[in-house]
Amino acid sequence: MAKQMLIDAYRGKKTAKAPWVPYAGVHCAFLIDEPADKMLKDPELLAKGVVHTAKRYKADGIPLVFDLSVEANAAGCSLKWWGDNVPSVSNHPCSKMQSPREAGLGLPTKDSGRWPVLFEAARIAKPQLEELDCALMGLFCGPLTLASHLAGVRIFTDVYKNKEFAAEVCKFAGEVGAKSAEFYAEMGCDIIANVDPVASQIKAETFREFVTPNSQAANKVIKDAGLTSSFFICGDATKVMEEVCKIGTDGFAIDEQMNMNFIRDLALKHGVGFGGNLKLTLALSLGLLSPREDAIVSLAAGGQHGYTFAPG
Amino acid sequence: MSDEKITIDVLTLDSVQCAACGYMMESIAAMPKDVQDMIVYKEWSIKNQDSVAKFQELGGRVLPTICIESDLVFESIIPQYEELIDEMAKRAPSQEIKDRLISLREVGFNFDDLAENLEKAGSGMSTRTDSKRS
Repeated sequence: MAKQMLIDAYRGKKTAKAPWVPYAGVHCAFLIDEPADKMLKDPELLAKGVVHTAKRYKADGIPLVFDLSVEANAAGCSLKWWGDNVPSVSNHPCSKMQSPREAGLGLPTKDSGRWPVLFEAARIAKPQLEELDCALMGLFCGPLTLASHLAGVRIFTDVYKNKEFAAEVCKFAGEVGAKSAEFYAEMGCDIIANVDPVASQIKAETFREFVTPNSQAANKVIKDAGLTSSFFICGDATKVMEEVCKIGTDGFAIDEQMNMNFIRDLALKHGVGFGGNLKLTLALSLGLLSPREDAIVSLAAGGQHGYTFAPG
Repeated sequence: MSDEKITIDVLTLDSVQCAACGYMMESIAAMPKDVQDMIVYKEWSIKNQDSVAKFQELGGRVLPTICIESDLVFESIIPQYEELIDEMAKRAPSQEIKDRLISLREVGFNFDDLAENLEKAGSGMSTRTDSKRS
């Protein structure tokens, strides 16, 4: 396990070999034989799951949680809990075109929503991960995904038809993201990532208008804390990848739908780190491809210059 | 009104775990009541073996994708309300349904029955490899 090697790769530097991060999320609960909802509500179980998974997979880094409902919940959204999945957001307080302030939403504090659970879990897990030489990663919900949670699917229409409203919701979402980055820095996270999966589902100009500017506050928090930043995106993100490279984070991570050779060349061109893309569904979940062969393909394509091997 | 309905299949990774998939599902589930009466829709999570067959049958290329009447219409792009109405209208089984859809173009999303509509579509319910689809 090699925390510094992971940080170097995330920052786009050459490494002796590709470091490895399992984005385990609620899989940690499966590994300690607990339901996902129970683990996510219990700081001791969450810390146990994360540390156990880091050991089991010999991880160079591991996220505290991979759960994009934390910010929405802390800002005022309700959750639907699942025993085998992350919670989903079950209401959208801005769906009738109220601004976040009009809807009574405020910036989260350390006592809002599930943040106390995360602070306590990090307090327990961090020293154990340090002993393993494993980085602790803090993942927060990116501006467009959080805006979707707050306003619902209408945000994808509003970014064209009601730009002022969309801008207000996305700005608030960016401010919430910056608070999360502050919290993760205070917890002792080594790497903090802005996770904005729905940002792959929009046009490049929409990304430039709503995602890039509303990611800068969090970028600054991470940079000022001397930590390492990343931007995670999912799906077929081809149309926005140039924007992802230019968003101002030290690197990015993509999922199994992207071609690793294309991604590698793009990351090298922009001098940023990149991670992915062991096939989560085709290999790891469904077994339609051999995970071993898939890993070899990813590792060969990724190389040893800014590359982190990870599921996608 | 005709009993014929427009069939919509949403190919996802998993609408609970994957936010993009979730909002693809929601774009259909938040259609207003009058549109809901004219459509029938389901989530097909690729984590489920039955859904893999559906993915292959429809010729899916990326996740998430909204298929309307078996056409891959919105591939990795969450549609605007009007775009959805227009694409459904193009594939309406009768002129009557087409006209009704077009008349609803300015109505906009409705979130009042979201949870119920998502449940009806099996959203988040078949995300294990051994889950069975009805």
